[in-house]
Amino acid sequence: MSGSTPHGLDDNLEERVAELLADEQYADHPLREVLEQVMDRMGQQLSRLERITQISDRYQTGAQERVLHISRRYDRQIRKLEKAIRISDRYQAMLNDLNKALQEASTHDQLTGLPNRRLMADRCRREDHRSQRESSTYSLLAIDVDRFKTINDTYGHEAGDRVLVELGQAFRRGLRDYDSCARWGGEEFLALLIGADLSTAEHVAQRILETVRSLCVDLPSGVISPRVSIGVAEHHTGELYTDVYRRADAALLLAKESGRDRFLVAAPPTELEIQTAAQLRDDPPSA
Amino acid sequence: MTQSSGQTSTQGSNLDLPATQATPAVQADWNAGFLLMAGESYPENTYEIFDDIISWVEAYLTGTDRPLHMELRLNYLNTSSIRAMIDIFDRLQNAADAGRELSVNWLYDSRNPRSAELGEEFKEDYDFDFVISAVGD
Repeated sequence: MSGSTPHGLDDNLEERVAELLADEQYADHPLREVLEQVMDRMGQQLSRLERITQISDRYQTGAQERVLHISRRYDRQIRKLEKAIRISDRYQAMLNDLNKALQEASTHDQLTGLPNRRLMADRCRREDHRSQRESSTYSLLAIDVDRFKTINDTYGHEAGDRVLVELGQAFRRGLRDYDSCARWGGEEFLALLIGADLSTAEHVAQRILETVRSLCVDLPSGVISPRVSIGVAEHHTGELYTDVYRRADAALLLAKESGRDRFLVAAPPTELEIQTAAQLRDDPPSA
Repeated sequence: MTQSSGQTSTQGSNLDLPATQATPAVQADWNAGFLLMAGESYPENTYEIFDDIISWVEAYLTGTDRPLHMELRLNYLNTSSIRAMIDIFDRLQNAADAGRELSVNWLYDSRNPRSAELGEEFKEDYDFDFVISAVGD
């Protein structure tokens, strides 16, 4: 076993050789000088080996430090990227919400919160397609506020706006869950009654009239009890919603002329009307 | 003196980049120690614009010992722009650690309060003056 000397030599062996070399009785021994040289050279080799080991150790430590440094930098970069991704996700969520708000604004009336004309037209077109596919029916109610101009002139436009908002809510209460009501124009509303034939539509129109009659809009300048007139029309085979609407609107005009605060049912389209409408669609007049 | 895109900022120069559809307006005033970024940032190549800004900030921080005030009105940033902003803030933090007087004012549209939360997210890791405030329309 080797000892713990720096050179890793056996202590005893080194000491014994040193003793023998120092002993004067071997001073003239022919091997003495050679042994001295061997010991010398061995000492040099061992110290060189030690230096190499030390340098190698230093390299190893340096490499370890470098790895540590790189891994710290790597962790920092990862944290930075994670933060960037987190913030980016937030931006995306924000954009998504803004997009939804924009969509809502483009499909709903700002004042009443009801669907606007664009959304209602989409829904009506969908019903046109459905009625073709499934030979189902639907009805339209064209609703107009009676003497709305007088309300505006007497109480001001703010009061007129309040009346429209309250009426919008009343219409929603008067309709079935799957029906919808849109603000079609200034004081005109359009209700789409899905799957409703005339008798159902008349029933709904009557309920809306009654809901409106029980409505009192409380304003600082007084209480307004608005009234509405309604034109009712059911879709007939071959018609588009624009045709149905035209008939409902004509019935609305008649309801107005015959005293307001009532509904009137539109006459069904004549064969000629249906044919003319179909012809216009197939072969529209050039602009 | 106006710094054109793609050059390295020199000592004492200003930046004046107009906003484009995908990059914010940038104004850097060397003498006033003021940097403004306003608009949206989603360029295809983020370094096109941020190289100029980062090198201006570096030149200013190494070339002077005066305070730097940043005003940010950034409505939208894509991921690469967010990363570049973090790079800028990290440089500011290093300067703040060395005793530099710095402030960032994150201004957001009062109609879009969620933008304030984004400012808060950026602010999180820094201890220099980082104020988040609403501006009206």
